[in-house]
Amino acid sequence: MLNLFRSCFFAALALLLIQPAQAATTIELWHAMSGALNERVDELADKFNKSQSEYVLKPVLKGGYDDVVNSMIAAYRARQHPPIVQVNERGFLTMLSSGAILPATELMEKAGHKINWSDFIAPVATYFTKDGVMMAMPFNSSTPILFYNADHFKAAGFDKPASTWPELEAQLYAISKKGVSKCAMVFPADWEWSFLENYSAIEDVPYATKRNGFDGVGAEYVFNKGRLVGHMERVKRFLDDGILELAGQGINPGQLFIAGRCSTVINSTAAHAAVEAGAKFNWNATFLPTEKDSPAKNSTIGGAALWTLKGHKDEVYKGVAAFYNFLGNVETQVWWHKATGYVPVTQAAYEAAKAQGYYKDKPTREIAVVQLARGTPSDNSKGFRLGNSAQANIAIKEEIQAGLLGQKPMQKAMDDAVGRGNEVLRQFEKVNAGKY
Amino acid sequence: MVERTPVLDAFAHLILIAGAALVCIPIYFVFVTGTLTQQQVLQVPMPWVPGDQFMANVATAWQKADFGRLFLNSLVVSAGIVVGKIALSLLAAFAVTYFRFPFRMTAFWLIFVSLMLPIEVRIVPTYEAAANAALPWNAIVDALDLQGLARTITGRELTLTLDWSLVNTYSGLILPLIASATATFLFRQFFLTVPDELSDAARVDGARPMQFFWLILLPLSRSNIVAMAIILFLWSWNQYLWPLLVTTEKSMSTAVIGLRHLMPSADAAPSWHVLMSATLLTLAPPVVVVVVAQRWFIKGLIDSGK
Amino acid sequence: MQASTDASAWAGGAGRLRPTGPPRALPASSAESEQRGLKRSTFENRALAYLLLAPQMIVLLFFFFIPSFRALIQAFQLSDPFGGSTQWVGLDNLAALWRSAPYWAAVRATIVFTLALSVATLGVALLLAFAAHHVLRGQTLYKTFILVPYAVAPAIAGIVWAFLFNPAVGPIAHLLHSAGIAWDPNRFPGHAMTLVVLASAWKQVSYNFLFLLAGLLAVPRSILEAAAVDGAGPIRRFVSISLSMLTPTLFFLVVINFVYGFFDTFAVIDATTRGGPAGATTTMVYKVYQDGFVSLDLGSSAAQSIVLMVLALALTFVQFRFLEARVRYAV
Repeated sequence: MLNLFRSCFFAALALLLIQPAQAATTIELWHAMSGALNERVDELADKFNKSQSEYVLKPVLKGGYDDVVNSMIAAYRARQHPPIVQVNERGFLTMLSSGAILPATELMEKAGHKINWSDFIAPVATYFTKDGVMMAMPFNSSTPILFYNADHFKAAGFDKPASTWPELEAQLYAISKKGVSKCAMVFPADWEWSFLENYSAIEDVPYATKRNGFDGVGAEYVFNKGRLVGHMERVKRFLDDGILELAGQGINPGQLFIAGRCSTVINSTAAHAAVEAGAKFNWNATFLPTEKDSPAKNSTIGGAALWTLKGHKDEVYKGVAAFYNFLGNVETQVWWHKATGYVPVTQAAYEAAKAQGYYKDKPTREIAVVQLARGTPSDNSKGFRLGNSAQANIAIKEEIQAGLLGQKPMQKAMDDAVGRGNEVLRQFEKVNAGKY
Repeated sequence: MVERTPVLDAFAHLILIAGAALVCIPIYFVFVTGTLTQQQVLQVPMPWVPGDQFMANVATAWQKADFGRLFLNSLVVSAGIVVGKIALSLLAAFAVTYFRFPFRMTAFWLIFVSLMLPIEVRIVPTYEAAANAALPWNAIVDALDLQGLARTITGRELTLTLDWSLVNTYSGLILPLIASATATFLFRQFFLTVPDELSDAARVDGARPMQFFWLILLPLSRSNIVAMAIILFLWSWNQYLWPLLVTTEKSMSTAVIGLRHLMPSADAAPSWHVLMSATLLTLAPPVVVVVVAQRWFIKGLIDSGK
Repeated sequence: MQASTDASAWAGGAGRLRPTGPPRALPASSAESEQRGLKRSTFENRALAYLLLAPQMIVLLFFFFIPSFRALIQAFQLSDPFGGSTQWVGLDNLAALWRSAPYWAAVRATIVFTLALSVATLGVALLLAFAAHHVLRGQTLYKTFILVPYAVAPAIAGIVWAFLFNPAVGPIAHLLHSAGIAWDPNRFPGHAMTLVVLASAWKQVSYNFLFLLAGLLAVPRSILEAAAVDGAGPIRRFVSISLSMLTPTLFFLVVINFVYGFFDTFAVIDATTRGGPAGATTTMVYKVYQDGFVSLDLGSSAAQSIVLMVLALALTFVQFRFLEARVRYAV
């Protein structure tokens, strides 16, 4: 037994000493795209590597978004971090206050690449821009849309879902009462994104003060006042009346839709791949419903962006810039959009896909882009810049869930959610006093 | 055992069958899912009867995750952890039960405390420790300004700080996980049941402590060692977070990491069938270990039960 | 786990076990109880003892004590995860916990969870171990089946259990519904807690079963045969003889199950219920993970870890002091 241990130890030492020789500069990218998306990222890296010979992009899948962030922090503290890391959109302020990042705009300027930053789709640009500087390179962005089972709607006597919530509600109740399906709508797992944040953006109501946090320190959540309360009360009504189903763990809500059990689902446009692969019925998609008198602003994005970390040689940053340049190409964007279902982040890419007739074949893929570019963004639909929103969301969801399950009145649940959310904001400000 | 008890026998078998069934229902579903196609996997409710895609899915999973190399890594790491933990724990348990010395119980409690802080909480500092195992030495050098001292003595600039990185190495995967109290606790429990007459007799015979350890204590402990080895092997095999953090090269990854990478992300086609067949693949080596190790288990027990 | 052996091969006749007669009771004198966990006959070589302890302690020092200290010191700080800015706030983090209703909810959830888990695990494992020890045929097969859950990765186990009991699609949920039970772990906190206990216990039963069986197999046949001759049936023999000889193993398992419930279960909880619904299955360790790993609130997470650690140490100490007094190490 001791021998085994000894040989293991020496094998380890040997492996330590073997270093492959490298001609081109390697650039590591840590990301969180697992499953089929992992293959797409590898393909992307392949394309980039084949397009030039000075740099080699090496994507490393580091688990889920939380795993990636913790790996990055651990590695950064030990000075063993990669130059590029994928962080989801709500990590914006955390990355900004880290003091560890190089803004994308500066990186590209230094390397001499010309990027038309104003060509980026508005919600994407505003989310990641601060003081006119694009901090991160947008990578995978999406927005929620309404998928529906056309067969079910037809059987209940409707052509398609109505465009307003009250009318849709009537339709869903009809579907349920007529026995067309057991589940008219399934609640998505990331419902804070679609039912809270996007609702407030589309309805042009503030989610937090200080223009949803864009104006800096001192923002407070205010979603417990106004329309959002009514909206969540509506959701509670759906739940109590059996219209809405909670998927829980062990199965993706999208799967309940794909299996034909639930008639509608509000899900990310990136779920297209799964729906196309698995739905055996006539399905379709449409814009998110609005209220009757709604200004119908744009929806906001979800997904992640690529951040550049300090501490590497100039050579490496040239390579990073080259990769970002490649990523921003119309060709690459169109390929990424088609292969993954994420939206093209530049106007030019969108136009190109349209010109190729892509949306004639797959009209539902266009919905997300149109919804994101709808109208002029107001103060309430530019996105959210709230510190530690991942932490706040855990608390907010817990409280609102208690309201949905009838453990406390909905207004109180929303008030409690706001209270806990504000605590998180205050703590974030205390930790990062004076940084942003 | 000596008498005939057909009713009790039947009852015992019933309990065991129920137990085994209950315990294996989840595994059965893993198996069934692993035999379906992408289409069938998305159907609700899921079929109870297995499909025919088992080999196809296994092949896909193997190829997607490059399991060959991953299995080798998992084997090396698990074996290393098992050997390391058991060796260290046997020695420590021996010291704590058979020797009287100051801070004896303190040492035992210090070892025990290591069970009380999950690795997730200390993951970042542990990573820093693995990224540079010489960190404590460097801290001492800096605190005492030993480099300054060296300069004054020798008149030259000397770098006394070291950089010993265990990232992406087998040692980095093994060493931080070797610190553990479960095995020490187990062996302590066992050593306390060993009759005092044995160590008395050994001392009377003039045997040194290590001879007693090697010749008497270890053979007696065999069944416990085997049981612990099984548990530790399975535990190490399933480690996810630490190996994830300490490796960036695909060639140093472990089987369970490869498995989790196949987990369908929310935004793509849910390939549960591939994930589940990969689960079965990843389950295979530990189950083989369990089956094989049982032979030693029984043998050891027959010896000591005389 | 018992060591019961014919020692004549080693020591010339000394140390043969007496199969009958009253078991030697543990001495109650204070001098002996001070040296708890120490053999009566010890070796004199102190230097050797330190040497034997050294490897484990050194590994623990580098990879546990130092990192843990650096992690836990953050309980008294407000720090930015990247290490950029650190402010000392003394006991503020701990005070915030004291005031936090969700934290107390987590404490209550932990107590319920750990108790239910321990009872379920040990109970089922004991039953299975007795049955496996009793039957002569098929032992290996049964043992292999019962040990398999321990080989399954916790995350996968959680997903599978969540799926099986999912009220919309789970096969077992269907069975429950047809039996008239309105099973829904997404709505009812009690159901969610039951599910989480089941999933966690499932994995731990294998562990308990293995050691209980080992312990049962080590009970000397001579004693059991003597009792059988005296007219005791198998169940009577189990209860009066085997169980009392199993006390060291039982004590070990009680402590280990407790540690498991307190510290090692969040992966299963995360995969099964995500701590929901509305925080119903958020145990203290799950909260530590959530606040530290997901929310990057290192100060609160470290403070919670300290509380968890102190609580666990105190409870373990109590177990050692009171339960171990009843353990019979010698026969």
